[in-house]
Amino acid sequence: MTSRILIVEDEALVAMELRFVLEDLGHDVVDSVADAGTALDCARENHVDLALVDIHLSDGPSGVQLGRRLAEEGLTVLYMTANPGMVMGGVSGPLGVLSKPVDETGVKRAVDYALRRRAGEPVEYAPPELTVFA
Amino acid sequence: MSSPSSSSWTEADRLDALRSYGVLETPHEKGFDDIVELAASLCGAPTALISLVEAHEQVFKARIGMDPDRTSRDVSFCDHAMREPGLTVVTDATADPRFRDNALVTGEPAIRFYAGAPLVSAEGLPLGSLCVIDYEPRPEGLTDLQARTLEILAGQVVSQMELRRAVRQVEQGRDALAESEARFRVIADSMPQMVWSTLPDGYHDYYNARWYEFTGVPDGSTDGEAWNGMFHPDDQARAWKIWRNSLETGDLYEIEYRLRRADGVYRWTLGRAVPLRNPDGEIIRWFGTCTDIDDLKRIEQGQALLSQELSHRIKNIFAVVSALIALSAREHPEAKDFARAVRDRIGALARAHEFVRPHSDVSRPLIGEMTLHGFLSSLFRPYAEPGGAPRVELVGEDALFDDQAATSVALLFHELATNAAKYGALSMPGGKVRLTTRAEDDRFILNWREIGGPAVSGPPERQGFGSSLASLSVEGQLGGRLERVWHVEGLEVTADLPETALSRRKAAQDRDRRGPVVDESVRAGGRAGH
Repeated sequence: MTSRILIVEDEALVAMELRFVLEDLGHDVVDSVADAGTALDCARENHVDLALVDIHLSDGPSGVQLGRRLAEEGLTVLYMTANPGMVMGGVSGPLGVLSKPVDETGVKRAVDYALRRRAGEPVEYAPPELTVFA
Repeated sequence: MSSPSSSSWTEADRLDALRSYGVLETPHEKGFDDIVELAASLCGAPTALISLVEAHEQVFKARIGMDPDRTSRDVSFCDHAMREPGLTVVTDATADPRFRDNALVTGEPAIRFYAGAPLVSAEGLPLGSLCVIDYEPRPEGLTDLQARTLEILAGQVVSQMELRRAVRQVEQGRDALAESEARFRVIADSMPQMVWSTLPDGYHDYYNARWYEFTGVPDGSTDGEAWNGMFHPDDQARAWKIWRNSLETGDLYEIEYRLRRADGVYRWTLGRAVPLRNPDGEIIRWFGTCTDIDDLKRIEQGQALLSQELSHRIKNIFAVVSALIALSAREHPEAKDFARAVRDRIGALARAHEFVRPHSDVSRPLIGEMTLHGFLSSLFRPYAEPGGAPRVELVGEDALFDDQAATSVALLFHELATNAAKYGALSMPGGKVRLTTRAEDDRFILNWREIGGPAVSGPPERQGFGSSLASLSVEGQLGGRLERVWHVEGLEVTADLPETALSRRKAAQDRDRRGPVVDESVRAGGRAGH
């Protein structure tokens, strides 16, 4: 299933690697941005299915709020952070949180899960590396 | 009143008692003067004295018909009289072997007749006597009425003195109390803390100067229950509840709240109070303090923020390094497996650091405890059944572990799990691992037992780097022993560690704090679940 994905990540190397992994999986990476404002603009100007959002961005810890806003815009949102504690309590809107570092398999399973949920397909289990919000 | 036997008191006791009345070296007092006047006229004697026998002299508290206000004790008639149970009557001193050589008899004022009634304290200590003196012999002595009256008057003298002593003690107590109160106020007002006190029902009736200085409210305006209005509106209900609870139970009151300063700024304040109890255990007062901890709180918050930021950076570095390896490996497809193995190991390290780094409330992992079992269950999560049921079962005693042990513990179990997934129990459906952890004397033992995997024929021909890494972690880093046994049904690995290996820093702290003796509580200190 090919989908349009937005990467919100301020570490260029991590973003680049993630882009390669997603493209290898056959997805279309719409853009890779490093701050909340650009991310919102991009989401409004393009058709995006899924956003992978880091919490600490180049404009500060703005990812939590950004995740909420993107979800309001109709995107499926997964947080992807080295500090999952900041959102472990759950955030309304985004689907869940993926703890970094995560390997290709982890990314694939989490993205597949998120896209199947978006498509309304029945999904029995969440992958182990993903913490899904209640 | 009979004189106690000489063995029941000492001269020092007697003198202490005498001096405690506060009647020596004091001005004339009408009460005593009237008594000697009455005694003299009643007995028709020219002289009457209230004589108090000091260490080396007798002092006349009241006197009539006698010029000196004291004489030497060695010529004292009263020193004799006070030791006798009843009245001492000397009809003619020149004929009495006890007194005929007395200077007051042979010389001036030439005493001939003496009658003295002892003055005996409530405790039975002789203090002196009430006496009448004549300078002519009186063979007939005193009439019964005179004798009886002299004794009664002596009793009245002692009563007067006892009364005087009682009043004096009350006054001294009041002075001491006033002094203690004054001292308390000086100390309380010079303290940097705010100090307050309440009645047992919680009615505030005292605040020190610092309270009024901090809050800027007029003196007395926060008496009673008005103090609660000084707190931040959001803290009032909570403070009130905790305070009522302390009043009901007598438990120590302790709370952090925001207190309004004179300039209207709310400052974080630590409030504490303890009850003062009477000997029956009833609370008679509460004493409390308020300490401004706002600066401290700010520093704490700053530190937590810094520590969180630092921790975020560290975890980010793991992610960047991991990405760098993956990107580098893209150019070398032949290095793909190698890159994956290194990234997995880095992932295990990153996960371990999530469990040991200093956490603030925000960054503390909400899933699982920050203990060995908490970390291990997180590390093994990727190997779980699709439904999330763990395939590595954790049993036994949990333990705390710190950042010094994190790397080794992470690498050891990452290697064991990876290996099991490739060749061992976790490579086959239904295969499981049972990981038992237990404290045994001064050791901490972790036992990894694989079951349900492919049959094991014996040790592998070649020891891979993963195995070396596991051995290095346990034997090099943690100072323990690693033993592998290849049972047919699966691999068994036992890591036998010194009990302090998982929490070296804490063990060192315990040692510093409690000395070198390793007792039961130190042993327990390194582990959770006790």
